[in-house]
Amino acid sequence: MNDGQATMMNPGSVSRRRFLRVAGAGVAGSSLLTMIEARQAPAQIKGSNLRILTWSHFIPAYDTWFDKMAKEWGDQSGVKVRVDHIPHLEIPARMAAEFAAGAGHDILFNGSTILTRIYYKNLVDLTEVYDQVGKKYGGWIPAARSPVEVEGRIYGMPVYYILLPMIWRKDLFDQAGLQAPDTWEQARVAARTLKAKGHPTGIQFSHCNDANLNWRSVLFSFGGSETDPSGENPTIDSKETREALRFAKALFDEGMTPEVFSWDDASDNRYLASGVACWVHDAISAYRTTQETNPTVFQQAHIGLEPAGPGGKRVSTSAPNAFMVWKFSKNVPAAKEFLAHLMDMDKQGMIESTGYNMPFLNDTAKKPMPVIGTDPKLQVLQDFPKIVAFFGYPGPYTTQIQEVANLFVLPDMFTRVARGASVDESVKWGAGEYQRIFAKHKRA
Amino acid sequence: MGGPDATSARAAAVSAVASGPRLLGWFRSQTSRRLGFGYLLLTPAAVYVLLLVGAPFLFSLYLALSDATVGEQVAGFIGFENFKSALEMDTFWIAFRNSVTFFVVAAIFKSILGTSLAFLLLQTFRGKKIVRALVVIPFTLPIAVSVLAWKWMYDSQFSVFNWVLSRMGLIGQYGTDSWPVWLGNPRLALIACIGVNVWRTFPFSAIVLLAGFTSVPPEVLDAAKVDGCNFLQRFHNVVVPMIFPILMVGFLFDTVFTLSDLSVVYILTQGGPGNATQILPMLAYQIGIQAGNLGRGAAIALFLVPLLAPAMFLFLRNLKRREY
Repeated sequence: MNDGQATMMNPGSVSRRRFLRVAGAGVAGSSLLTMIEARQAPAQIKGSNLRILTWSHFIPAYDTWFDKMAKEWGDQSGVKVRVDHIPHLEIPARMAAEFAAGAGHDILFNGSTILTRIYYKNLVDLTEVYDQVGKKYGGWIPAARSPVEVEGRIYGMPVYYILLPMIWRKDLFDQAGLQAPDTWEQARVAARTLKAKGHPTGIQFSHCNDANLNWRSVLFSFGGSETDPSGENPTIDSKETREALRFAKALFDEGMTPEVFSWDDASDNRYLASGVACWVHDAISAYRTTQETNPTVFQQAHIGLEPAGPGGKRVSTSAPNAFMVWKFSKNVPAAKEFLAHLMDMDKQGMIESTGYNMPFLNDTAKKPMPVIGTDPKLQVLQDFPKIVAFFGYPGPYTTQIQEVANLFVLPDMFTRVARGASVDESVKWGAGEYQRIFAKHKRA
Repeated sequence: MGGPDATSARAAAVSAVASGPRLLGWFRSQTSRRLGFGYLLLTPAAVYVLLLVGAPFLFSLYLALSDATVGEQVAGFIGFENFKSALEMDTFWIAFRNSVTFFVVAAIFKSILGTSLAFLLLQTFRGKKIVRALVVIPFTLPIAVSVLAWKWMYDSQFSVFNWVLSRMGLIGQYGTDSWPVWLGNPRLALIACIGVNVWRTFPFSAIVLLAGFTSVPPEVLDAAKVDGCNFLQRFHNVVVPMIFPILMVGFLFDTVFTLSDLSVVYILTQGGPGNATQILPMLAYQIGIQAGNLGRGAAIALFLVPLLAPAMFLFLRNLKRREY
């Protein structure tokens, strides 16, 4: 890029070698993009190897499809593809090990823990492929850039995000004459009413990813925020945060039992499947699993839009998932080509994940979406792309926010209040933790 | 001719001239060769320890004094900044306190259970060999598998402990206030984590003790019996002094295993609820690897050294004293 600019500004200083280099790079780049657009594998990737590291998806059928799709693409492109699956919690450690060794996979997955900003200097700039794919499929949803953009460049391919909508029991609500939980206040009233009938609710007040996601949804829907839009300054100490904490305290006291302090990511799935919960705020895997484990609950479980806060605001904090390419990869063209192909298969991926994977691409996100567009109970999920946000909202997903999330600062603030600490005391503690972490990153 | 100074200088010169060949002679002597050979034999062990223990320790020290992150290959020296920032964290102090509690409580229970089990295994009974093999299962099972099983047993809704206690009428039904939430109550959660650690590693203590007990000659014990010693007196005055070196080595291993155990807390609670089970290795992992701040993670992990070093020093000094 810089070379190109220099050439334009000082045409007289262009040497023959420089001209050939710049022109060659331009031709190679444009032919790669043309080939990506035409879905034709460039000859230079034939005979190469591509190693992909990804997670073990919560929907095993998706992994089966992914592996097959990757192999078929490899066969067609003349690339030997190998896909390795590991639990998503192990990915940060594996990524650190591969970076330190300067060897490993060519493409790697980040899910929930997004490390783009830590590694971006060592990741391949995917801006051109991202733009090209976006152009082809009607652009990206507004939240897509946040987890993968650093200093205006794109270092990861956002592939899908995982929503945590409201899943509620229509039979229980109807029996008690309750309204569907369209606002957090209605959800609280329902929990209070139904807890008395043996059907409390639950959101994790513990150290797990769902706790990080769910309490952020509450906070953001109450008008609160984690950082300013630049992502550089924490804004957690606010009137809105206090309101959200007061609400959480009331919700816990009136509608939950202390077991929520011990919950992990799967506990609310079990809570719903056991027939106890009146509602849970969880990924649709909770709904799907009841299909086999408790068909009665499955029939009565309905999915709702993200509940609105007191001002009518709805923000759904979701878990983004992205693929990145190491700079040390010897197969960058093949990796880019594969990622472009993966995005071509976006709709199919959504089908194979039974609607679990939510699309970042506008064309796939258009109504009717695959799977969820045809299921009357799931159709409401199609309205989420407009309200999706990630950690750090309204700022980007930064390294300091990643540390805040890893240390579960926000869920701990909510836990403190639920356990009886005063709202001001909890905000003081939480804001102090945010400030301390942000200050350290600034110093670094 | 000359004063006392000159005399002493001459004497020194004479001795230096004389000591030259003497030193050379010593190097050629049988003693020096034997010593040299001894050091030569010791070299592989020393190199092994330096490479496997010294190098990683020095590397973590280097990381702790730098602003290293997982995403940068070059790190700058920042002095004690990482240690300072760790000390400023509330969570660090909670983790420090929990680590000490974890170690002390686990050590007490492992000693009691390990000793009892070792005595039981000393007895003669049918199927003794099978029982001996079975008791080491907790220690040999993959930690992820065994701790996940415990996680199920502690489940807030489907806990097998609660089910049994409820059937026995000791606690109420699910949903009542008397239903314990093992991993949700701060105190119970720490007890639950310590419990799993004890369950996993007390067979190791038992095996170490068993090895010691079997090395005590029966005639010594018989003699003590004849002298009128009861069981506790025999244990305290005869067995313990005789197996002390084995006891210390076992204790040494156990201290290291307990203080550096990350898996139990990681799988059961991730340090929650509200940092109630946060321990130093967990905090170091969260900050160093998950959040990518290697320098700060290394500094937190190095705070285990002041915890471990005095214990190691006392054990080893005691061991040395007993040897002479």
